[in-house]
Parts: sequence; C-alpha cells; structure tokens
Amino acid sequence: MMQSGKIAITGVGETPFLRKGEEHVMQMMTRASLAAIADAGLRPTDIDGYIINKYAGHPSEEIAHAIGAGQKLFSAVTDSAGGTATSGDALRLAQLAIEAGLCKHVLVPYAIRSTKPGGVYAFHAREPQKAGLEMPAGFFGQPTYFASMANRYAHEYGMTEEEQAALPMTYRAWAAITPSAQRRDPMDLAAYRASPMISTPLRVADCCLTTDGGGAYVVSSVEYARDLPHPVVAVQGLGLGYNNYPHGVLFSQKPCTFEFPGRESAAMAYAMAGISPADLDLAQVYDGFTISALVQTEMLGLCDVGEAPRFYAAGHALPGGKMPINTSGGHMSGGYVPGMNLLIEAVRQLRGGEGARQVPDARLCAIAGLGGNNHSTTILARM
Amino acid sequence: MGLPNYPVHLEDPLFQGFYDGLDAGELRVTVDAETGEFQWYPPEVVPGRPDARLEWRAVSPLGHAYTFTTVVRSLLPGDHKDEVPYTVILFEPDDAPGVRIAGVLVDDKGVTPACGMRLKFRPVSVGDHKIAGFAPA
Repeated sequence: MMQSGKIAITGVGETPFLRKGEEHVMQMMTRASLAAIADAGLRPTDIDGYIINKYAGHPSEEIAHAIGAGQKLFSAVTDSAGGTATSGDALRLAQLAIEAGLCKHVLVPYAIRSTKPGGVYAFHAREPQKAGLEMPAGFFGQPTYFASMANRYAHEYGMTEEEQAALPMTYRAWAAITPSAQRRDPMDLAAYRASPMISTPLRVADCCLTTDGGGAYVVSSVEYARDLPHPVVAVQGLGLGYNNYPHGVLFSQKPCTFEFPGRESAAMAYAMAGISPADLDLAQVYDGFTISALVQTEMLGLCDVGEAPRFYAAGHALPGGKMPINTSGGHMSGGYVPGMNLLIEAVRQLRGGEGARQVPDARLCAIAGLGGNNHSTTILARM
Repeated sequence: MGLPNYPVHLEDPLFQGFYDGLDAGELRVTVDAETGEFQWYPPEVVPGRPDARLEWRAVSPLGHAYTFTTVVRSLLPGDHKDEVPYTVILFEPDDAPGVRIAGVLVDDKGVTPACGMRLKFRPVSVGDHKIAGFAPA
C-alpha cells in the first residue's frame, strides 16, 4: 500500500466554465496550469513533472513549452478516463514519481471542449461492438446507457421521481451559492420536471453539463507544502478499482450494469487513510449522471446500498446537511471538466474561506472518480 | 412509438451472423466452438484462447428484459428526430442467462415497459435491414 500523507496538492487553478467558449484545449490547459503554478507559489520553471490525460490530445512537451517550463524530469500518461484519470490515477502516478525522487513538482492539467464537432459521444461510435450490434437497435449515447442502468437500479431498490430529482436539486443548491458555477438558476421539483427527457428516466437535469473549460493542479511533497501560505492539503488515502470489461460490452453485458469498481477503490482509500466514512466532513462524487452519482454515494459508504435516493431526498447532502456533497455544484451544475473541478473544490474547501458554501471546519474530503470501467477514491486531508 | 433507423455497418464480419439470424427469423449469438461457452458480444479474442474459433448458435426466442429505456431524444449520429420515441430492451434469452441482446420493444400498445417483463423475439424490418424486436409474451 502507498504511504499516507506524503504528497500534497499545493496549487489549483481553472478557467471559467462556459457552455460554449472561444478558446481551444491548449489555451485552456495553459491558462489553468499557470494559475495552479502561481497558487502553489512556484514559477513555471519549477515544474519538472507532468501527468497527462490521454484524452487531452496534447503531450507533455506541448504543455511544458506553453507554460515556459524548465527541465522536464518525469512524465506519464493516465491509462483511464473521466474522474478516475484526473482525481485518482494522476495522483497515484505523481506520488510514485515524487517518492522515487524523480521530480519535485508535478503538474496535472486537463481541459475539455464538449462543444467540439461530433460531440462527446463520437468515440462510442468507433467501438465495433456498439456500431455492429447496439447502434442499429438505437442503444447509443451515455444518457441512454445510464438511463438503462437507472431503470435496473429502480427495479432492484426502488426510486421515485421525487427521490431521483433530489440529487440534481441538491447539487444545484450548492451551485446557487458558488460564484463560478455554470448553472446557478434555482431548480425545484417543477423546474426539474420541466427539464426535457432524453431517455427515461433521465432528463437533461440528470446529466452533467456541456462545458468548455480547463483545470490544473500541482502536486509536491508535504515537506514543500508546509512552507506555503495555504494550509497543507495532503493525499491521505488513494484507491483505484478496475474491471476488465472492454468499453464495447461495458453498458450491456456486465452482470450488473450499474456496478462500478467503487467499493474496491473506496476500501483501499479508507485503509490507506486509516479512517472510515463516518470520519469524512464532505465528499465530491463524480456525477456524470444522477444514477452514477447515486451508486457512488453508496460505494463511498455514505449511506446503505440501495438507499442513496432516500439519502438525497432527506436532504443529507444539502448545504447544512450531515454530509455535504458536490459543494460547488459538481459536474451537473458547477461545470464538467471530468474529475478536475471536483478535486479543485475539495482542495479549496479544505483550505477554508469559501464563503457561503464553506463547510465548517472541513478537514477530510473524499473524491469519487468514475471513468468507464475504472474507479478511484481519493481522500484529502487538511494537515 | 417509432423505430430507430441506423444503418448496419458490417465492415466487421464479426457481426454478420447476428443479422443472418434475423433474416432467418432466429436470434443467434456466438459461442466458443470447442467449449460451447457463450462469448457475447463476439470478442476479437476469446479470453485466454487466442486460437479459439467462434460459431453462431440460435437461442430461445423467449426471455425477459434485463433493463430498458425509452429514447425520447436520439443521440445516434445524424438526424433521427422522426424515429423517437422507441424503447430499447436488453433481452436475456431463457436458455442463455447473462447474455443480453439489444433490440426494441414492439407490439407494446398499452404496455408499460419494465425490468423482468416476459418477451418474445420478433424480427422487425427497418429501412433495408432488420433489427431484433421483442413483443410482450
């Protein structure tokens, strides 16, 4: 097991999250990276390590050149997707590199143009099994896949429309008090019901936003972090869970289609951190869709299996609730830079000073990161 | 209710047997020719057996819905606005538990789709090809 409390997130930065932006991915990654480096009290020439997301489409030398970095000593690419890549896999690689003495300050940048031609589902159309067997039957696109999971979940555990709506309404309540959130307009049950249906039972309001935006963070040793003006936010626990289902069969042939390897990642992270779910002050949960966030809330151990719809409906994750979740609106209301804005929000909450949305005396935050057939759980601690 | 009309691309011969089956009025899935185990969807490589050969086998037309969703906004590439709504079914044949075949719910007037509902396979023609349809049984 990796050692707890050895690395810290020393700098975070992001661009505005826009429904349709003008900047390309490299511009957004550069802007977010420079903000994160400055936040860490570093200069670009201090960055000597890079963890690159394979979906970003730009290798580390392009990033290094764009930020005006110094000598590169280490680089790696995450072999995962979504939140797993940005809020789990990248941190593990960074810790391995820093603990091995390969580099001192690792930059993790990511940006997305969701409005790119072909849309965000184009890659699924290139998977032979989907093109050959699912698309002719009309089974295509993540909202449709996750809608089919939601119906199965409801069949097994029960979920009323009001309970389902409680999750996006909760995240919108947090977004309403987050100045940088992409969607801050109030969402009550009537507004939820007015949201267009995509695939039953998922409405637009049950889906992550379409965002053009970027984020970045810097990872350094805890020793370096102690000299910074910010409180130290260390990686206390880190777990990754994998399964071996190729993407082509992921949404149809798994024995339980809504079973992600989140229990495995959470168990590993809690063991590394030496804590239990009851010790957490807040959580950030990868909310591509209502159903996936519900299931991950259970996998983190924040409520019993099959009870997440009732957990949200009871208001436990709302501002002032016993377990605040997605405190800047998550991906469904805050912005969709997969995993990245959740991790940045976790760091900011643990530093303190986030105004109306600040969780009082926040010291421990879990981040659940779903990415295709992988899952990560990261536990950050204010030291 | 509508039907999705998305062309079947059979550049990959891995899937030809499924559509040959639909033309013959059968649901066919792939099995490992030596062991007889279901290998569905047809993989490029059978796990642990790179030399394994696949063959197509007809399965029961009776089964149930593992899950479903009614597509209201089609996300298929191209313009498919006129084809919605339709209900996608992931069908499990009675004699092939765990094998799921994507198709659409048909003959469903007055029927509320549900997980576990009993269904019977019936191929349906869409444009110049057939897709798997499943009618309440």
